[in-house]
Amino acid sequence: MNLSRIRLIFTRELRDQVRDRRTMFTIFVLPLLLYPFMGMLMLQVAQFHAEHPVRITWIGEDNWPTDRPLVSKSDSENSQELIRWSFMSHDAGGRSESDWHEFATEAVKKGNSDLVFISGPDVLRAFEDRAQKLPLKTYMNQASDQSVIATQRLNRLLDEWQRSWIRDQLVDSKLNPEILKPMTAEVIDIAPQETKQALVWSKLLPLVMLIWALTGAFYPAIDLCAGEKERGTLETLLSSPASRREIVWGKLLTVMTFSVATAVLNLFSMQFTSSFVIDQFTRMGATNVGATMGPLPLSSLTWLIVILLPMSTMFSALALAVAALARSSKEGQYYLMPLLMGGLPLVLLPMMPGMTLSVGSSAIPVTGAVLLARALIEGQYREALIHAPIVIGITVICCLLSVRWAVRQFESENVMFRESERFQWSLWLKRIWQDRTDSATANEALLCGMVVLVALFFGKMSMSSQVLSWTNFAQTTIAVQLGMILGPCLIMALFMTSSLRKALRIEKVHPLDLVMAIVLGISLHPAYLQLSSLVQHEFQIGAETREVLHQVDGIIAAAPLWSVLLVFAIIPAICEELTFRGFIFGGLMQQNGILRAILVSSLFFGFSHGVLQQSISASVMGLVLGFIAWRSGGVLCGIATHMTHNGLSMIVSRFGKESNDVPVNLSWMFETTSEGELSYSSLWLASSIVISILCFAWFAFRPQTGSIRRHSTIGTKANSFVA
Amino acid sequence: MDIVTVTNLTKSYPDLARGHFVAVDCISFRAQPGEILGVLGPNGAGKTTALRMLSTILTPTSGSITINGADAVTQADEVRRSIGFVSNNTALYDRMTAKELVEYYGGLHGLPPTLIRERISKIFSKLRMEEIGDTPCGRMSTGMKQKVSIARALIHDPPVLIFDEASVGLDVMVARALMETIASLREAGKCIIFSTHIMREVERLCDRVAIMYHGRILDTGTLPELAERYKQKDFEELFFDLLTRHDQHPETSVA
Repeated sequence: MNLSRIRLIFTRELRDQVRDRRTMFTIFVLPLLLYPFMGMLMLQVAQFHAEHPVRITWIGEDNWPTDRPLVSKSDSENSQELIRWSFMSHDAGGRSESDWHEFATEAVKKGNSDLVFISGPDVLRAFEDRAQKLPLKTYMNQASDQSVIATQRLNRLLDEWQRSWIRDQLVDSKLNPEILKPMTAEVIDIAPQETKQALVWSKLLPLVMLIWALTGAFYPAIDLCAGEKERGTLETLLSSPASRREIVWGKLLTVMTFSVATAVLNLFSMQFTSSFVIDQFTRMGATNVGATMGPLPLSSLTWLIVILLPMSTMFSALALAVAALARSSKEGQYYLMPLLMGGLPLVLLPMMPGMTLSVGSSAIPVTGAVLLARALIEGQYREALIHAPIVIGITVICCLLSVRWAVRQFESENVMFRESERFQWSLWLKRIWQDRTDSATANEALLCGMVVLVALFFGKMSMSSQVLSWTNFAQTTIAVQLGMILGPCLIMALFMTSSLRKALRIEKVHPLDLVMAIVLGISLHPAYLQLSSLVQHEFQIGAETREVLHQVDGIIAAAPLWSVLLVFAIIPAICEELTFRGFIFGGLMQQNGILRAILVSSLFFGFSHGVLQQSISASVMGLVLGFIAWRSGGVLCGIATHMTHNGLSMIVSRFGKESNDVPVNLSWMFETTSEGELSYSSLWLASSIVISILCFAWFAFRPQTGSIRRHSTIGTKANSFVA
Repeated sequence: MDIVTVTNLTKSYPDLARGHFVAVDCISFRAQPGEILGVLGPNGAGKTTALRMLSTILTPTSGSITINGADAVTQADEVRRSIGFVSNNTALYDRMTAKELVEYYGGLHGLPPTLIRERISKIFSKLRMEEIGDTPCGRMSTGMKQKVSIARALIHDPPVLIFDEASVGLDVMVARALMETIASLREAGKCIIFSTHIMREVERLCDRVAIMYHGRILDTGTLPELAERYKQKDFEELFFDLLTRHDQHPETSVA
């Protein structure tokens, strides 16, 4: 790569964007105006904010004990601002219960009253009797905010009345009313004022910053890709000596600059405005606002900017890669919207209650970075330091993958010179049939993955209530494997490819490879269990799910071993490997997409496991199986590893139930944990890791077979450009 | 000595409407310095695809392209230094001035700033565009834009210039000026590949012509050679005869 060319492209693009008034307004002027405007609005609203009164009709006020009124005359006047009472006698017009019911329902329904409160003639009797609860009725409309507020305000009144009544009853009975509240724990808040002030900002600012970083990358990315296509300038740029990689880096730096600038400007504008507004609120008497939301320390802004740089790189590369697909600026906006929708949950996830920095959360892209920023702002440096390597590692990997995707988009003729085609189902199906090759295309592989996931979602949802016995459970599992995983894959392979065997990558393998695959299945098992245990520790399974899993474990433990192995080892290994490492992997491998094939197929494989904790562990296992699928040139070795691994899981889980069943000659491999559970011994864990590394080395350095070479030279079926 | 050699060049891709579509079907031609080779064909003949492959924007499905001794696939960088590409729209950055734009492309070609300034002065003078040097391209007329586009393609002094339907959308005066500019570039020893679907431009400008239709070159030669070969003096009639013959006998009509 020629750095001077990258600099040249970067400076040109930057200058071009700076000269665009619309971009400048959106990215630079808007943030500077937005927060002062919002602050002004808040001050205005705060000055004129008032709670609206609600209308409550009380039928049977005359039935209420007169010596203990619910609404005294003075209360009624005081609360006149919040509750406007209308009183009706229960005896009025000689209405029956059903008449009052109809009346109250209509009154609330038509909006004549926000709430109707009925105290019938039995109330007074019940009150005097003191052995019965007062038979009161409240008619409200849950769909109306005013009605809900009216209910809350009435309930507050009723609660107060009850408390007062109970207190008097206790006093009458010569009991101390304080027995109702036997303890009061004194709360001593040790958090320094600055930390408390930072707490609110630490949650709010990373969110605001990343949303703006994402938004700031959008418009330049669209203009630099789709805009260039629209103007025809991309063609001349591509015919210049600048390589595609140099062009991408030049553009990426520009998009990043705008992404960072937008986020930073927003931060500073927000900081400046909030300081001013908080100061004004404090002067107006709202001291609690000043106590909880003081001005943000500058050190916090520094931490945010440190986190912002890699995030902006990732967002910019993703925006550039997606925008490259578009033929026009308008189309670019359509394409980038899903990216925003996909990115927002990761930004919003840290806002969830109880979400803190942990090994698990720090491994989630974007979310981990937000949590790290929060920890740094809150001054939890030790926590931040422990998790920083994971966050940095994940972020760097995501950045590299995003940049790589962007470069590949620019290298693809299909993407760069795509033109609109009128879509016709008949033509599309005809073309797929006519253009069938040995393997699926990358698009067909992605489609297959998505179809499988959707089928699994609906299939598992509809079958989840049918788990009653082992037979039922086994039938359901087999139906899912055959009908929702292998089924769609087979249909697509038959329809979209010319060779079922090659599409599913059923290739002959050397017996020694098969042996090594089985050894790998055995040797990986302890490490996989450790990983699963770690994942379950970091992402705690909910009580309900745990209960269901416990029931399933019970059902499996009671079933014959041969049938358990058939259902959980043999069938899944065959179905899942043919689908994920066969059809999907083979399609994604087209055009030297080996890394893409391994990563994407492992993600599909992971997501196909219903429980999140399983999905994470399975995704990691998917990477291993993908590596084997690539190096062995087919699915058979993967099936062997998968089958061995699943089979071992089933067998070991049985040892766990009956520890005496561990064969004596295998006892050195197991030990009992402090929780009384059977697990692999440290000696076997260490040994198995060494064996696994040797197995990986075997596959990594084995001579390439014809099938591997053939995959790397398969034609570019997906190429498309316009004459 | 040929400076451009195209041998059995083919480009195919899947197309939703047409199935597996061959945009350029095994075409071959050569061009020499100081020569204008016209690539004439109706819309959709495959001219743009062929020229995009010549300018290394697209990779051929098969066949080879050699420009100034370098292979367009394996030595794309060398080829890009030897060509100037003028596309069928002016393709300028609206917010850049003419000088900035030409300087930018000079920089991409790795030319030192002093040489860029020197060349800009010469090219702008030759194309009579000194007055628009500091005008943003977005405010220029189509004719001015076309001049800037040519200046951009000339900044690195390439021996080969590729014009892809460069006269499309130009008024008569501007188109005439463009033809004069191209003719003067030929005089300067440049090899020019000029694609068009306007026969009059070919008659006035081209030394040789390659007639393209449905991705194939139906015939190549000078205008007198073609007139002699097909016994037809009217070039327009000759062109339609060739196309009709190809439609009737697609396999036997290719040169």
